Amino acid sequence: MNVPHPAFQPGLFGATRREFLGRIFNGFGALALENLLGRESLRAAEADPLAVRIAHRPRRAKQCIFLFMGGGVSQMDSFEYKPALNEFHGRPIPRVPSISSGELQGRLTFPHACVGSPFRFQRYGRSGRYLSELFPHLARHVDDLAFIHGIQVDNQNHGPATLHVTTGSTFPGSPSVGSWIQYGLGSPNQDLPGYVVIQDPRGAPTNGTAAWTNGFLPAAYQGTLLRPTGTPIVDLARPVGVSATQQRQEFDALAWLNRQHLVNRPDASELEARISAYELAFRMQTAAPELVDLAGEPEHVKSLYGLDNPRTSGFGRQCLLARRLVERGVRYTLLVHGVQIGSHSWDDHGDVKGGMTKHCGEVDLPVAGLLADLKQRGLLEETLVVWSSEMGRTPFVNGKLGDKPGRDHNGHALCMWMAGGNVKGGSTAGETDDFSLRSVGNPIHIRDVHATLLHLMGIDDEHLTWLHAGRVRKLTDIGGQVLEQILG
Amino acid sequence: MDFYFDRSRMQRFLCTILASFSLSIRSPAAVPASTPVVAWPFAAPAKIAPPPVRAADKIRNGLDAFILARLEAKGLSLAPEAAPHTLVRRLYLDLIGLPPTPAEVEAFVQDADPKAWERLVDRLLSDSRYGERWARFWLDLARYADTAGYEGDPDLPHAWRYRDYVIDAFNQDKPYDRFILEQIAGDELEEIMGAGELPEPKPEQTVALTFLRLAPFTEPRGDASRHEMLSEVTATVSSVFLGLTVGCAQCHDHKYERIPTKDFYRMKAFFATVQIPRPLPGDGFQLGGPLSADFFRPGEKEWAAKLTTQRQAEVQAARAALAALEKIEAAGKIANPKVGLTPEQQSQQIDWKTRIHLAQMDITRLQPVAMSLRHSFGPPYEPGVPETHVLTRGEWDKPGEVVEPGFLSCVTGDQTPAVIRLDPFKRWPTRSRRSTLAHWIASKENPLTARVMVNRLWAWHFGRGLVATPSDFGKLSGGPSHPELLDWLARRFHESNWSVKAMHRLILNSATWRQSSQWNDTDSAAIDPENTLLWRYPRRRLEAEAVRDSVLAVSGRLNPESFGLPIFPPLPEGLAESVKWNESKWANQTGPEGRKRSIYIYQQRSLTMPMMQTFDAVVCDASRDRRQHSVTPLQALAMYNGGFVSEEARQFAARLRQQAGNSPEAQIDMAFRIALGRSPAPAEVQRLRSLVESSAPDEGPAALCRVVLNSNEFISLE
Repeated sequence: MNVPHPAFQPGLFGATRREFLGRIFNGFGALALENLLGRESLRAAEADPLAVRIAHRPRRAKQCIFLFMGGGVSQMDSFEYKPALNEFHGRPIPRVPSISSGELQGRLTFPHACVGSPFRFQRYGRSGRYLSELFPHLARHVDDLAFIHGIQVDNQNHGPATLHVTTGSTFPGSPSVGSWIQYGLGSPNQDLPGYVVIQDPRGAPTNGTAAWTNGFLPAAYQGTLLRPTGTPIVDLARPVGVSATQQRQEFDALAWLNRQHLVNRPDASELEARISAYELAFRMQTAAPELVDLAGEPEHVKSLYGLDNPRTSGFGRQCLLARRLVERGVRYTLLVHGVQIGSHSWDDHGDVKGGMTKHCGEVDLPVAGLLADLKQRGLLEETLVVWSSEMGRTPFVNGKLGDKPGRDHNGHALCMWMAGGNVKGGSTAGETDDFSLRSVGNPIHIRDVHATLLHLMGIDDEHLTWLHAGRVRKLTDIGGQVLEQILG
Repeated sequence: MDFYFDRSRMQRFLCTILASFSLSIRSPAAVPASTPVVAWPFAAPAKIAPPPVRAADKIRNGLDAFILARLEAKGLSLAPEAAPHTLVRRLYLDLIGLPPTPAEVEAFVQDADPKAWERLVDRLLSDSRYGERWARFWLDLARYADTAGYEGDPDLPHAWRYRDYVIDAFNQDKPYDRFILEQIAGDELEEIMGAGELPEPKPEQTVALTFLRLAPFTEPRGDASRHEMLSEVTATVSSVFLGLTVGCAQCHDHKYERIPTKDFYRMKAFFATVQIPRPLPGDGFQLGGPLSADFFRPGEKEWAAKLTTQRQAEVQAARAALAALEKIEAAGKIANPKVGLTPEQQSQQIDWKTRIHLAQMDITRLQPVAMSLRHSFGPPYEPGVPETHVLTRGEWDKPGEVVEPGFLSCVTGDQTPAVIRLDPFKRWPTRSRRSTLAHWIASKENPLTARVMVNRLWAWHFGRGLVATPSDFGKLSGGPSHPELLDWLARRFHESNWSVKAMHRLILNSATWRQSSQWNDTDSAAIDPENTLLWRYPRRRLEAEAVRDSVLAVSGRLNPESFGLPIFPPLPEGLAESVKWNESKWANQTGPEGRKRSIYIYQQRSLTMPMMQTFDAVVCDASRDRRQHSVTPLQALAMYNGGFVSEEARQFAARLRQQAGNSPEAQIDMAFRIALGRSPAPAEVQRLRSLVESSAPDEGPAALCRVVLNSNEFISLE
């Protein structure tokens, strides 16, 4: 069958990709994409990149909120109870991985004396999972959480590791997770961008916009930054001196002019799409300010997210906005907590006790509030909430063991949790050794987590592909293993 | 397990995936059923005369014959020529990336000379703005950026000189073979005649070598980093100049092309004697250092000296201002230890510090050096010729068989080592490896080089290459849509002595390129819906750079100054600050210096200007052979609300008032002629007049300008 698939009408994706699907893969690619999208929705995608597409797997998660803690969260001070670490406190770790394997990338110049966790751990919930005392509020939801331990990322520097978690590649330039999901599923609310990023009001994560870029996918799939001050979206406010009525008049004239231009211009789906893009933009001007206006939220809801406390109000606002985005059907929300360098980063090379107390104190209540609020509104079932960082930290000290020891980077022991969606609460995947230096058993790679995330959203990672630079590209590169243990 | 292991695993797997599609892939169109011994694209371009056509009156040059013959075979034909005003606008946008002025449109439309078109093409090809547009395509391929990416995204202070080198190369029509030689082996081109000192490369060639250093870079980690860096160079050189995905063979034999792993390392061995200058003392990011390369373009040296003095004076002034503030603070402390500077003074303090930081960055950029590399000088001072090993599964610490530098066997037919021509005294055994490779690539005997480049030129002119994947001529490309034409063009490229401008002339003077894009022929559309056979001109959206530059040209505020330091157009408030590592690199230039053409915009890998990004501009991390053309509401917000366009719309309106007076009709007419290169239709005048008249007082012309700048026509290459 050499004829291009009938679904591949001229449109937004550009001729080259259609040619690949239709001509190069001789229907194979078309088949894969049709499986993924369904024929009707594929057609819709051609005319409108953000049209809702139907997933090819049954799913419960319609939206995803990805909570990214920038800097490298210490897993043994938060979600991994390692009593052996306290036993060996101040003494060298009994088993040091070989240097030649390059695993710790030259970070073994330290005395690698163990640092026991300064925090008390106790069991919570029916699942009886240990959590550190830093998460008293999240602990109430422990039975809703599925934990993944010992996740491996391929580089232990903040930049590459952050990109690995947010885009599936340690190299800049690949589409972020939210972009892939947009491309796969579209967005039900077209008055708002389908992929929204809210970063820490105090600053950006490492790599900045590269963490939510569309990479080689079309620009329609980029993450849109919701700003803490000024208009919530860049260029949302009308030009100075232009009233709403004036703008409406101008948009009407513009639409008229563009329709005139369509006459005798065949193959015009791109031109038509541009006409509707102006209408969407117009509606976005109202929808986005409405979204960020929290005046209508009752006081008890605001305090549920910690908006009444300066310590928690920053991330609390981010979490409350995430709920409002979910209510509006926004497909993917990335919340970033932490600024790339300095005291606001989870990068606790020194004083892990002080650092973790501070960071956790900022996020514990808001995250718990978000889960509680989603649950009481019946949204948690259809919303996948993911907690992540770019890597874990070492069990041994960074530098000399003083009175305020800190921990170094560890790309072999990232700990994440998921909740909502179709996640099995109380379940666990992966395990780390007694010191949480590395995983034991089959190591889980970040691509396995990505495959699981896509699966929960109804997408098979093997089928969500884009041909770029002569290669079939996917979020999971070589394909990930879905973590069946944590599926509901 | 380390990162290299996984990368190789990834590549292995990707190639397996590609190979698994192999059964369903059609053989390239060029290859007849009885495949010759050397198949396309490895056979030399065939000597083919343009085929006979029935409608011979429709063709203007040999190129058209190939296109028309294929169309006629399907019962189709070329579309009629586009209207003169459409053509002239198309030509300006295509060749120089800016719309023509009304006078320029008029001059061409009125010109009765039958050679008027050819003269216009020649004139625009010798216009220096041509290089400022076409160099951008090459910069995409060269993965050009002004920062290194990764952690901290450190500044690459001398990358801009390579950008200017490329603009120069296009403007001067530097023969493409020379262009290749300079970028791969600029340091090895001087002949060594005696036993004296090593000849210094010319500064221009030192700058050209920046090409090999533009990959994102994180931090040196010994042999692993060197392997990674040279592998990237091997893969990029192969895909840019040869159109082959040699990089896929890093870990295992290419699953689809005839590129064994051994060939990857034989290619990589050409780069084995590369010596990157050591990082400068105090560079925490440990990026390689620069090499001396004096300014060489006319007037450049004086310009750099003058600007350096200016920046030094700014630093001094800022330091003085800071000292004055310190004095005020100290004096205040004596009076009342609890009172410091006022908030206003504090923000002044921050401002002065930022100015010092930015001025010092410029002073560094203006040093007569380049981000370059050279061959090792060899023992006893520097490393000699290292052995190159095949690395098992691409892992840097798993050396296998030793290989000698050699050309790709899929091209040469065997794995005989390349003959490296050393200097007569064999004093520099580390020299001449890259020049050997470069000479092999930049040769008329190489079947790929000319084909790949003419296809790129074709793709940039028509929005799609004859081979749809310009950096991949392998089996996955699906082969060329017009194999004979591609060969004919490649031979013409050889015959012109690699003149890129000669190829532009051939394409732009053809009837194929001059067709109408509005030809609404249902038969043609049914037979060839994708317009692969080119039965009409393929309309498409302008690239981000051309959109921004056109807006500035129309408002009359484009700063025409060429070359020089990166520019920093204003960003939406808070953005630069929000992605900074420690100090922002973005200088936010609100004056005319920030209104130079888009090719000069600072390419910061952690920050793409939002407006440019919505139009699919990318700050490159890897070589890119094509742009996306997407549509998103964010484009509408940027083009209508965005500070840049709304300000330029007001300037455009002021220009209309000044030149057309207060009559709405005259303003509408002039707005159309300036922005769209045509007069408005009566209905358009009527509709827009009602907009102008119903707008708030004084807002009418600005409203008109916003509508015109936002129209589909304004950003379309018709």
